[in-house]
Amino acid sequence: MIHFDNVTKVYANQNRPALDHVSVDVDKGEFVFLVGPSGSGKSTFLRLVLKEERPNSGAIHVAGKDLARLSNFKVPHLRRRIGCVFQDFRLLPNKNVYENVAFALEVIGKPRRFIRKVVPEVVELVGLEGKAHRMPDELSGGEQQRVAMARAFVNRPMILLADEPTGNIDPATSIGIMKVLDRINRTGTTVVMATHDAAIVDSMRKRVVELEDGKIVRDQSRGVYGQAY
Amino acid sequence: MRANFIFSEVWIGLRRNLTMTIAVIVTVAIGMALLGIGLMVSSQISGMKDYWADKVEVSVFLCKKNDPFPKCKGSGGVDQEEQAALRAQIEGMEQVEKVEFEDAAKAYENFKVQYASNTVLLAAIQVDDMPESFRVKLKDPDTYGAVIESLEGAAGVSNVVNQKKLLENFFGLMEKIRGFALVIAGFLVIAATLLIGNTVRLSAYNRRRETGIMRLVGASNLYIQLPFVMEGVIAGLIGGVMAAVLLIVTKVFLFDGMQGYLGNSQLTWETVASVISFTMAIGVFICVLASFVTLRRYLRV
Repeated sequence: MIHFDNVTKVYANQNRPALDHVSVDVDKGEFVFLVGPSGSGKSTFLRLVLKEERPNSGAIHVAGKDLARLSNFKVPHLRRRIGCVFQDFRLLPNKNVYENVAFALEVIGKPRRFIRKVVPEVVELVGLEGKAHRMPDELSGGEQQRVAMARAFVNRPMILLADEPTGNIDPATSIGIMKVLDRINRTGTTVVMATHDAAIVDSMRKRVVELEDGKIVRDQSRGVYGQAY
Repeated sequence: MRANFIFSEVWIGLRRNLTMTIAVIVTVAIGMALLGIGLMVSSQISGMKDYWADKVEVSVFLCKKNDPFPKCKGSGGVDQEEQAALRAQIEGMEQVEKVEFEDAAKAYENFKVQYASNTVLLAAIQVDDMPESFRVKLKDPDTYGAVIESLEGAAGVSNVVNQKKLLENFFGLMEKIRGFALVIAGFLVIAATLLIGNTVRLSAYNRRRETGIMRLVGASNLYIQLPFVMEGVIAGLIGGVMAAVLLIVTKVFLFDGMQGYLGNSQLTWETVASVISFTMAIGVFICVLASFVTLRRYLRV
């Protein structure tokens, strides 16, 4: 599903590569934790999958497509197959829960009838039934992140990228977030989650890829966060 | 593509930047109106040139009794012999197509028509005050130089007036007005372009959250950019409509008002309509262009 082959990314005006000859394979339906200290290249990895950045060398395949040969014109279509969740939720403050989720479908031109049917289902899936008409500032951090997950998942993406989704959320609430991610993963969606949260990684017992200074130092199925942290 | 989504976005964008939008509309309106006036003056000039081309004549005024003109001082006015000699001289010139004699009575008729509204002047001027003249039509209106030179010194001639010269002065003035309107229109077009650029930039900044999410969920570039471009188009269209109103007012009050002095106005409604559609197209085109160029810089997609 995601295939990195000897990928190196050096940002302009920087000597040290953000990713240094990284090769990794993520299969369809897998759940992968991407761990490592700040600046180890986790976010760069996710940005490369979305083609927000281009690698300096190496090849990236996502959902069977060679990103180097994907024209800019087609990048939006790639992104429709990838859902994204961030630490800071990125909700629209002037829209309620339903509208925030529906926005993701409206802007890719889905018909209104389809939106009316699908959005309530996904709102329920993330555990926000009955809160569809709340505004984001009336929700707790955990609930806001659920809205963001509903928005990321509403178009049934093949891949869900989560960049520290529990970073702004207390540990008790994080468990609920992880349950939703697990539920999404069980529908067959590949999930890649970058995180610092050792407790979560240890409790989930999923594949762990550890990055350090842009290099993969560990790739372990059913792994834990690691001793060093 | 969902039209009402785009339009609600456009409406929000226009409302958030109301002052900038008004500035864009006013600039576009005035710029396009001046451009249109320049074009209308242009068409008026060429129309009038055609109209007058076969009507201009050289008027050779003859001395009458006690004529105050210096060349006639002392003479008792032109006599029959001098008049016949003059006619023969004029008819003998190879540049001349045709000569007509206008006597005082006919000149008075023409005068009465031309100054019908000025009763004071009509009461003061009598038939005897009108000069007699030869109306000389040239084969080529541009060859007046030699004709005038040889007639000006002839006996019994008070003065020679070349209508072409008068018209050329008038056309010169019209051409200056046109040039002035077009230069100012050019500056306003530049101002409008920069204003639109700024408006779009503000709009893009105001909506960076929305556009960020749109990018993330895979909205196409067109879908993301269209609301911004539409903002420019709508501002341009409103400006264009205001310019059209200004042009119609100009046509009715300025060009049709000139009709009394110039015989007829050459500016038809058809011309005004094509000028209006042209300026509107230009206005919208500028807006679209400025929006796209700015978006490429400020809205990463």
